[in-house]
Amino acid sequence: MARWRVGVDSGGTFTDVCLFDEEEGRVEVWKVSSTPDDPSRGIAQGVEEGMRRVMPDAGDAPGAAVSYFGHGTTVATNALIQHKGVRTGLVTTDGFRDLLEIGRQKRPDLYDMQADKPPTLVSRDLRMEVPERVRHTGEIDTPLDEDKMRIAARALRDAGVKAIAVSFLYGFIRPEHEIRAVEILREECPDTFICAGHEIAPEFREYERLSTVVLNAYLGPVMRRYIERLTPRLKALGMTATPHLTQSNGGVIGFSTAADMPVRTVLSGPSTGVVGAQAIGVLAGFPDLITFDMGGTSTDVALLQGGSCKMTSEAVVHGYPIKAPMLDIHTVGAGGGSISYVDAGGLLKVGPRSCGADPGPVCYDRGNTEPATTDANVVLQTLNPEYLLGGRMPVRQDLAKAAIGVLADKLGLGVMETAQGIISVVTANMARAIRVISIQRGHDPRDYTLMAFGGAGPLHAARLAKELDMKRVLVPRNPGILCAMGLLLTDLRADFAATKLLPATGASVEEVSAAFAGLTARGEEWFDHEEIGPDARRLTRTADMRYAGQNYELAVPLPDGPITAATIASLLEGFTESHRQRYGFIAEGEAVQLVTLRLEATGVVRKAVLKSYPDAGPDASAAIISSRPVWFPEAGDFVTTPLYSREELKPGNLFTGPAIVEQMDTTTVVPPGMKVSVDSYLNLILEVTA
Amino acid sequence: MSHALKAAPAVVLDPITIEVIGASLSSIVEETGEALIRASYSTNIKERRDCSTALFNAAGQTLCQAEHIPVHLGSFIGIVPHIMRLHRIEDMQPGDVFVGNDAYAGGGTHLPDIVLAEPIFIDGVIVAWTVNLAHHSDFADRGHAHIYQEGLRIPPVRLYRAGVLQKDLQDLILLNCQVPRERLSDLRAQMAANRVGVQRFTALCAKYGTDIVLAAGEALLDYAERKMRAGIAAIPDGTWRFNDVFDNAEISATLPLSVEVTVKGDSMTLSFDAPDQLRAGLNMTYTALLATAYYVVKSVVDPTILPNAGLARPLTIIAREGSILNCVHPAAVNGRVQTCQRVSDLILGALAQAVPLNVTACSNSTCTVASFIGQRKSDGAIWVYLETMGGGGGARATKDGLDGVHVHTTNTSNLPVEALEIEYPLTLLRYELVEGSGGVGQYRGGMGLRRVYRADEDCRVRVDVSRLRSRSWGLFGGGEGAHGAIECGPGVVFQADCAVLKAGQWFAVVSPGAGGYGAPEKRDRAAVARDVAEGAITAATAQEVYHDPN
Repeated sequence: MARWRVGVDSGGTFTDVCLFDEEEGRVEVWKVSSTPDDPSRGIAQGVEEGMRRVMPDAGDAPGAAVSYFGHGTTVATNALIQHKGVRTGLVTTDGFRDLLEIGRQKRPDLYDMQADKPPTLVSRDLRMEVPERVRHTGEIDTPLDEDKMRIAARALRDAGVKAIAVSFLYGFIRPEHEIRAVEILREECPDTFICAGHEIAPEFREYERLSTVVLNAYLGPVMRRYIERLTPRLKALGMTATPHLTQSNGGVIGFSTAADMPVRTVLSGPSTGVVGAQAIGVLAGFPDLITFDMGGTSTDVALLQGGSCKMTSEAVVHGYPIKAPMLDIHTVGAGGGSISYVDAGGLLKVGPRSCGADPGPVCYDRGNTEPATTDANVVLQTLNPEYLLGGRMPVRQDLAKAAIGVLADKLGLGVMETAQGIISVVTANMARAIRVISIQRGHDPRDYTLMAFGGAGPLHAARLAKELDMKRVLVPRNPGILCAMGLLLTDLRADFAATKLLPATGASVEEVSAAFAGLTARGEEWFDHEEIGPDARRLTRTADMRYAGQNYELAVPLPDGPITAATIASLLEGFTESHRQRYGFIAEGEAVQLVTLRLEATGVVRKAVLKSYPDAGPDASAAIISSRPVWFPEAGDFVTTPLYSREELKPGNLFTGPAIVEQMDTTTVVPPGMKVSVDSYLNLILEVTA
Repeated sequence: MSHALKAAPAVVLDPITIEVIGASLSSIVEETGEALIRASYSTNIKERRDCSTALFNAAGQTLCQAEHIPVHLGSFIGIVPHIMRLHRIEDMQPGDVFVGNDAYAGGGTHLPDIVLAEPIFIDGVIVAWTVNLAHHSDFADRGHAHIYQEGLRIPPVRLYRAGVLQKDLQDLILLNCQVPRERLSDLRAQMAANRVGVQRFTALCAKYGTDIVLAAGEALLDYAERKMRAGIAAIPDGTWRFNDVFDNAEISATLPLSVEVTVKGDSMTLSFDAPDQLRAGLNMTYTALLATAYYVVKSVVDPTILPNAGLARPLTIIAREGSILNCVHPAAVNGRVQTCQRVSDLILGALAQAVPLNVTACSNSTCTVASFIGQRKSDGAIWVYLETMGGGGGARATKDGLDGVHVHTTNTSNLPVEALEIEYPLTLLRYELVEGSGGVGQYRGGMGLRRVYRADEDCRVRVDVSRLRSRSWGLFGGGEGAHGAIECGPGVVFQADCAVLKAGQWFAVVSPGAGGYGAPEKRDRAAVARDVAEGAITAATAQEVYHDPN
């Protein structure tokens, strides 16, 4: 009987499989090496092995017992970073083929004259112009020249493109030229991936829309091929459940939607971590969270208020603007592998260069001599000075110490002060990233709990919390597999938007109502397509609003119910309050506009329910496995510090810092002045003692 | 309450605290800039981002400038000393906000750049200033014989006194503006930005202690100085001269410009020669020259140096008073960025002889500006639309120049076509790279841009465009970039720097291309083929210049 919910997070190094038994509520984890040449092999292997472990007598259909399959992938992201998309063509309005290259005409770096823009994804000879022009009012200035359109289509076919993007000026206001262009392309280029602006990003600002459509075309065949390989492999395991894929907005979509809109999956990986954090945070009673997912080379941070992460409708990802609903995740290129050095002005810097997994930090003794953040932790003994990864990786503290000593000499500081200094600089850099998603968006980090995960998150979290004056840190039970876990905790999710410039007055009731009716119809269509039952359908509406004259909007939620003059009045009130909070003033008497109307469609799925465990009392001494001297800046010296085994900690256990908690996939540092409690879900809660 | 400045007590700082506070100062100026852009109304700020933010110490030295527009530093370094000269520090109160723009009494570099500066008080003492500048797209269709024709001159005066708006003054300013509603809204956005600056800096002081923050600020100036000196010391000692000419639609003459750059140990002197100041808006104030020189030298020696006052210490910058590079009252200055751009390339030409790998060939060497003005048929209101265009970026020692970008002392975005046409009675017909405009070479110069506009209602347009008579130079055998140009549709006459457009008429602005780097014979064959396929060069150029056998 199908009772296993399976989440698979396929990363560059490992493919993590998380299996949840719906009947008994237990979670099992399996890890296999990724197969980057064809990731679907690793995934199928991981699922098969994982299922056979939990169901040894599954026979030749180990997938038959899978009731739900959720998947987070870096396929789109990697194709983008490595520029391994397909040969792509573009059809656009006459006079504007260079817009893709010109962008917003700013140079890539203000001062560095050697900096380059990311490569343009469609070369100039494959960017076709066709006569057509729609006005911003929706009138047609120049009808689409269908003959020239056909000539352009044939030229692209002859040039051997594998994908074609169509994006015309004002296509989001009146799409018929784009629709006709797509029809002609389908006739002339039958085996080509084709997508258009009004389908992918029907919103204002032509360059950002163009960039999004082109990216979608560029990644389209890559994602399609991936899905075409993975689907039969899963079927071969006997799996009948509909597979799902995570989008950048944290929700999942079916494989076929993902194949049409790969641009919506570029943050698939980190968004599942945020979803996992969200579920665990809400369960633990901390719905206001800042997530801190620190890995080897990069760190992702996000802010969750009231259990939900803010959505952004546009971001620059790996140098390319993308208009798509994305969780507001901020990534910095710094992690445990970031290299420290002293610059020409005599200050200590960390990153953005990283030592990577190979050769790794100095302490791995694989030839690297420049100290990484991990080396500082090994010297401070916050990390085990003899081995890492639960004993699998022996390390050389003496080498790390010597490397940091070189920096210490340049700085005129001691080795320990320098090692601690590396941690302080990393902490300041991370704090800056968190300020971007909190203070710069009007949120005070002190009102939030820091949720630390990823291999290095729990190691640095307490210091980071202190830097930002945050009072509490939550370390989930399995920080290393939170992304795979998140896949079992997420709903199906799609976003629909219509840009419609309207005055925010009673006079717009009919048009707003009609626009939302259109969006709702699309939402319902999507529900049907995803086979979501009537009870599981949820629709949420928001309006992006601004003062007439501004070009940046604030998102205001709509109250439930039919749209009336009272709805608009409530929107106005919400906008005014939001504007005052954000900018400190309101423009009394100025006209307010509705710009983009948005509908979020959620298909609620039955999620994994995490099990809680009975209270075992405050005494944590049974979990102490040994002790070691650890350098704490509060003491300015090594302090003999108890080591706790994460596996042995029980709900209700209490202890105070200084302490170190070790587990296979991470190490948690508890500095002096913090106390730790273990909650009933086996999360560690670190709090500042009063 | 005493407002006297206290001398900062001796505080011992470690390099790590300095680094941490430096990162915080950067995030404060970034945050204030974001508030300014998002709350603003004018296309020039909300989309084109023609604005900057900074923090200054109590002595009026730059602590940190956001990465927006380098030439705006000229106004920043000018205004705080002028405020202190014109107003008694003892009389200043929390919530005072000074507004200023004047080139001679206010430290500004041209009148549309209106600065709002607000002192930050802690325990009754001014510890720093939050300063922001917005280019108000106004004062259009004016003369440029002298500054009195160019717009309203505002010395630094209080727009807010202890948090209270001085409405009389605001009314006076707005009456002198052609688009007062936009001005009012943008001034509000500037206030919102300063509010962020005050809050965040105060919070920083509360966290680390004011003494620590101020001492770190000083240490960061020293740090920038050390890095600048280290960078200059890496350049061989010597003196390098470079000459170029300056031409512009606004003037009929072609003017000689030259610079002599002397490097000695860890310091550098830049000495300029230029003609007398002009009865035209192309004159530069000394602060504009400083901002330009700081930008170029920092970019060449080490782009990562913190943009603060410390980097200026190893530099000596000399230009004759009364010349176009160091103008005096009453010279007009509206188009000073044209000259700043040419001076940037002039300095690069000299430094190319010392550090050929760190420079670029001559970029498009101007900031092409089109400004439209008209009266709306619907309500008679005046509309003003200003836009600046990128052009070719100079080729580099190991790669091609960038096509169609803003270079040097400016870096504003274009306005989306879909925003332009909704806001103004204009239609953009084409926006494209100019084929063949990049200078030939082992590495090709960047291409210029062409924008073709159609007027949908009657209006006037004024254009700043350069390299009409001269061309941007290449380096080490690289060819010259193409000229800038104006193209007129039927019935349109472009006279001096202006044209009248009737509804339905079109006209186009072409920005110059940039110079190439290295001899064309050395260019990679595949790159030549790609250029031909993409239309960046013609097949004829490929054969004649690159000797391409295909």
